[in-house]
Amino acid sequence: MPRAPDQESRAKGERPPSAETFENQILSLVPSLRRYSRSLARSDSDGEDLLQDCVEKVLVRRDQWRGVNLRAWVFTIMTNLYRDRHRRVSQHPSVELNETLGLTAEDVSGDPLEKTRLQQALNALSPDHRSVLMLVVVEGYGYQDVANMLAIPIGTVMSRLSRARRQMAMQLAQNNIVSLRRPK
Amino acid sequence: MTDGHNTVTETDLHAFVDGFLDDGRRQEVELWLKDHPEEADEILQWQAQAAELRTAFSNYARPSENDGMLLNAASPARTSSILWRKSALIAASLMLFLSGAAAGVYGERLISKPVPIENTAALESLPGQSKTAFLVYASEKRHPVEVGADQEEHLVTWLGKRLDYKLVAPDLKGLGFSLVGGRLLPVNGKAGAMLMYQDTAGQRLTVLLGKNPENGETSFRFESAGALETFYWIDGAIGYAVTGEVSRAKLQEIAEECYRQFET
Repeated sequence: MPRAPDQESRAKGERPPSAETFENQILSLVPSLRRYSRSLARSDSDGEDLLQDCVEKVLVRRDQWRGVNLRAWVFTIMTNLYRDRHRRVSQHPSVELNETLGLTAEDVSGDPLEKTRLQQALNALSPDHRSVLMLVVVEGYGYQDVANMLAIPIGTVMSRLSRARRQMAMQLAQNNIVSLRRPK
Repeated sequence: MTDGHNTVTETDLHAFVDGFLDDGRRQEVELWLKDHPEEADEILQWQAQAAELRTAFSNYARPSENDGMLLNAASPARTSSILWRKSALIAASLMLFLSGAAAGVYGERLISKPVPIENTAALESLPGQSKTAFLVYASEKRHPVEVGADQEEHLVTWLGKRLDYKLVAPDLKGLGFSLVGGRLLPVNGKAGAMLMYQDTAGQRLTVLLGKNPENGETSFRFESAGALETFYWIDGAIGYAVTGEVSRAKLQEIAEECYRQFET
């Protein structure tokens, strides 16, 4: 149903601020969104893809933003997108080929096999556990914030966090490393 | 988790790790942990894990010059990157199919290993490639190697030239293995080398060397597949993998000896 012009302009004036402001705000969120998307993804390219999908969706849905805490709103959209993608990928496992690549951050100072090990431990987590772990540990959100963002009880946040931490600890502890003596 | 009047919950422990406790409560938890070594151990693991995760991803929190284009939903960069990724996917499927065909005979779980399309993935497939090389060549009766140990000098010069690296064939006689010879073979999609050794009982092992796309240095790692053990590591420009049907302890000795003798 077409809306009268006066309604439309009022709606625009009230909720989403001017287009430029909204887009600039999104732009300033991109670095932390990039970190979050990469922490959920299986590879750099997969992370950039998720980031792009997320920004697209945010722009499409800008009218649904209620004008408070843009960052949390965008992070919620990212989390949901990630879960949907993960579901699609598990249904069509051939796509996963594209996503088995390890961490390839520019920093090459670290041990590359160590990065692969971390990535594998993360990939073994379910999307629900992984997103809670990343929101708390990497993004620094409080438990109640995460509960609000994901629309789940705080008890569920805590149990997912416990589960994620214990599973990661178990995976990372699997002792397949022998420390190297340097007799040269 | 009740100690008299002082109760520490699981939520407290998480909040302790995540820095959400006020000073007073934090000190109480610290005291409590002194009497609960098992939980204290777990907290140390969680803290290390959190630090590792933050380090791994902090580098990504940076702007990129193309960020403006993200806001333009149908930007050409997006379209081309999707196309590029699609073709990479097809290439990856093809590579998986080919390596699957090569490895299929042996029924190893090689197919499930990631396919080398990007650097780190290539690193990871080093033990997989080493196992395949072992399975293919170590069982070969007449032509296990291209150049035999009788021409060792020629062997190391030739393979060293192809790898652009001062190759030596490690002397493993002290561990009961003598050089059979070596061959040129593709590793990580480039010229690589395989050296083969055997003991007096005819038990063989292989040493695989491949160009490492990232200059790095790693610890020793091992992978088991049935009776096959593989030790692998990266040292500078070269990745190494030693595979054999020997005990892990023995193979580790051999790998360490190789590591000692290889030039970096």
